[in-house]
Amino acid sequence: MRCKEATYQLQLYIDRRLTLRQTRVLESHLASCPSCRAELCFLEEVSCGLSSLNSVPEPANLHEQIMQKVALSASRKNLVQPASFKLFRPSLAEILIAALLATLATLAILLQQPSIRTLLPKGNGHDPLSLLYTQVVHMLTSIDANTLILALWIVGTLLGVCITLAVAGSEMRTQWFKAMLERLPVR
Amino acid sequence: MREHLWPSSQSLGLSLPGTVSVPVEQDDALLVAASKNGDQDAFSLLVLRYQRRVFNLVFRMLQNYEEACEITQETFLAAWQGLPAFRGEARFTTWLYRIAYNCSLKQLDARKRDQALQVALQSEQKDEEPQSTQLARLDNQELVQEQLSQLPPKYRIVLILRHLQDMTYEEMAEVLTMPIGTIKTHLFRARNLLKERLQSFGYERKQKETRG
Repeated sequence: MRCKEATYQLQLYIDRRLTLRQTRVLESHLASCPSCRAELCFLEEVSCGLSSLNSVPEPANLHEQIMQKVALSASRKNLVQPASFKLFRPSLAEILIAALLATLATLAILLQQPSIRTLLPKGNGHDPLSLLYTQVVHMLTSIDANTLILALWIVGTLLGVCITLAVAGSEMRTQWFKAMLERLPVR
Repeated sequence: MREHLWPSSQSLGLSLPGTVSVPVEQDDALLVAASKNGDQDAFSLLVLRYQRRVFNLVFRMLQNYEEACEITQETFLAAWQGLPAFRGEARFTTWLYRIAYNCSLKQLDARKRDQALQVALQSEQKDEEPQSTQLARLDNQELVQEQLSQLPPKYRIVLILRHLQDMTYEEMAEVLTMPIGTIKTHLFRARNLLKERLQSFGYERKQKETRG
């Protein structure tokens, strides 16, 4: 064995990473090579020097400080995460209401087109419901286009707000209503 | 003299590492599972069990007590927040040391920002006191500590894990996510570098004098 190879293996020897055969070969080289023996001695001294470095005691309140941060982190997580999940989990009733309102809004948008308004079926019944329907159709077909668009825009906006509130979930609705009530000039 | 790393474990009814390693690992797994479900008491036991080891690892990397304290806290907080992602493929300690090492590296990077200031301060100190006088003050342990802190971080960490945390090559490879071959190379270079620096500062002579 050459000294160069032995020098590399010395560290593995210290760490007990050599096979039995490699150990024997190295030990026989060490027995006949004073410079490699000196190298091993010094490497062992260095390793001992490192291993004998005292363990530094941590501050007495370290555990307390860590757990305070953990508790703070956990409470923040509880505050933020469940709320964000609730917002995006509307109930079935809320989804149905939102769908109904969306359908009405879509119909209102379609009614802005005069050609579609003329296609509305004529009511010919004499019951109050049919009469009301006839009057509404008559009003829609005869009303000024700009006024109709404005009215539909207002209705559409209101429907949009209602849809948002329906989908947002009860928690968000409660917060919204509270905020609205707080802003009312007279309570 | 090496101080015992587990002073409070007996009082807590915890098993000691080294004597019965398997139960500790199983116990860790139970505590980790409970911590994953948000049990802060279970996590508190893990902190008590490993805070000294983590603190020492970080302290040897940073060589600054205040920073080590801060980074240890950061390490455990990151572990708590990252527990849901911990799949238990590696041991909890391996994972924890990896976090500690990464946090230390981040801190060392942050230090580089005001490196110019540090260099200026060091040169002032050198001007004030000759190097030979400084070294005369240092005993062997302080000299090793001093020279260890001067090594590049990638070499420092392998020496810390091998000699101060008593890790095997396999454990080091897991913590540092490196192949064992790279660990061997880093360790070889780190020891050689440390050896050369200590030789140049007369460590060998001191040792012989101490023995004589």
